[in-house]
Amino acid sequence: MVRGFQEYLGQYAPLNEEDKVILSDIMEVRTFDRKVRITDVGKVEQYLNFVVKGLIRKYFLLGKEQVIKHIASEGNILASSVSFFSGQPSQYIVETIEPSTVISISHTNIEKLFESDNKWERMGRLMMTDFLVEKEYWLLDMIRYSPRERLLRFVKERPDLMHRVPQKYLASYLDIKPETFSRLKHLALARKVGIA
Amino acid sequence: MKVVTTKIDPAFISYTLGALRRYFPVSLEQAEMLMGYCEMRHFDKRTIILNEGEREEYLNMVINGLARKYVRRGKNEVTLQLATEGHIIHSEISFLKRTPSPVVVETIEPSTLISLTYQNMEMALEEMPGADRMGRLLLVAMYVKKDERHYNQLHQTTRERFLNYMKNHPHMLQRVPQKYLASYLNIKPETFSRLKHLVKLN
Repeated sequence: MVRGFQEYLGQYAPLNEEDKVILSDIMEVRTFDRKVRITDVGKVEQYLNFVVKGLIRKYFLLGKEQVIKHIASEGNILASSVSFFSGQPSQYIVETIEPSTVISISHTNIEKLFESDNKWERMGRLMMTDFLVEKEYWLLDMIRYSPRERLLRFVKERPDLMHRVPQKYLASYLDIKPETFSRLKHLALARKVGIA
Repeated sequence: MKVVTTKIDPAFISYTLGALRRYFPVSLEQAEMLMGYCEMRHFDKRTIILNEGEREEYLNMVINGLARKYVRRGKNEVTLQLATEGHIIHSEISFLKRTPSPVVVETIEPSTLISLTYQNMEMALEEMPGADRMGRLLLVAMYVKKDERHYNQLHQTTRERFLNYMKNHPHMLQRVPQKYLASYLNIKPETFSRLKHLVKLN
């Protein structure tokens, strides 16, 4: 379980045995049932979570509508990130879709880690680089690509999620109207198996 | 000439210090050290600083003037950012990932930028104590700002977006061509013209 997390961090800096001990001292393993709110609107996000198993979404409410901004599966990082970074109350809800297990590091512990040695600070900077780039790509893709292109790209990049995530969540995440989504889905799946 | 590059004018250090402190805690000494890695670039108005497909070599702070970042969509341009004095503007993806830029950065007014090349940033990260932390906090600030803008775009009505923006940026209506402002605020040009009457111009 810990190995996946170590491998994730290993992309940013090599971890020696001592580093692994330091990490295991500060990480918390948390498990949740399905449809459990991990973070709520108005609460300050305390944790950065690495998904070991399961499926979690992040969304906000627009009136009664849930607008989904992130879907995380195994190997992904998820948190109400702005709240985690800024300490401001969360505008987002983080909620499990499937029963989920995450490795979490608290804000207090991550700050202590950064201050303990510059190599952790550097790792934090490199992770933050990827978070920013990912956000910018997402914002650009919403502008650059049509709903059809967005869906096809998603199917290509995260094929496993097409079957695991309820359709209405995917439609919201990709900002595609539910009725358009149903129509496009057939097209996307047909393409995947080589019919179209 | 499109661009003139010069050494940092020391007169700008205290200004830059103030601007940087909006992103992360920094001492005068650190700001001076950081400026040692930077250069000043001067651009005419309406000059493309970085084109789509080019690799971004610079992190820029506007010292004087106004620049915008946009993405092309067919024949249209969608304005993503308007940067005035004290703001940071560049193609984040291209700069950070060393890939061709998906966006264009262009001046609106004649502009002076303090610019840090990718190479010098790498050098500063190796040589300067605390540079990794500054870099991380700058990225956090940029991330938070993007998220806020996106959240507000969705949670405010067209009218609210217009009025809030004009309240917080009262000079922009004079400084920025209307079509760029309308695009930035995601308001149709005809709606924008109509809303403009809500703002009292002296």
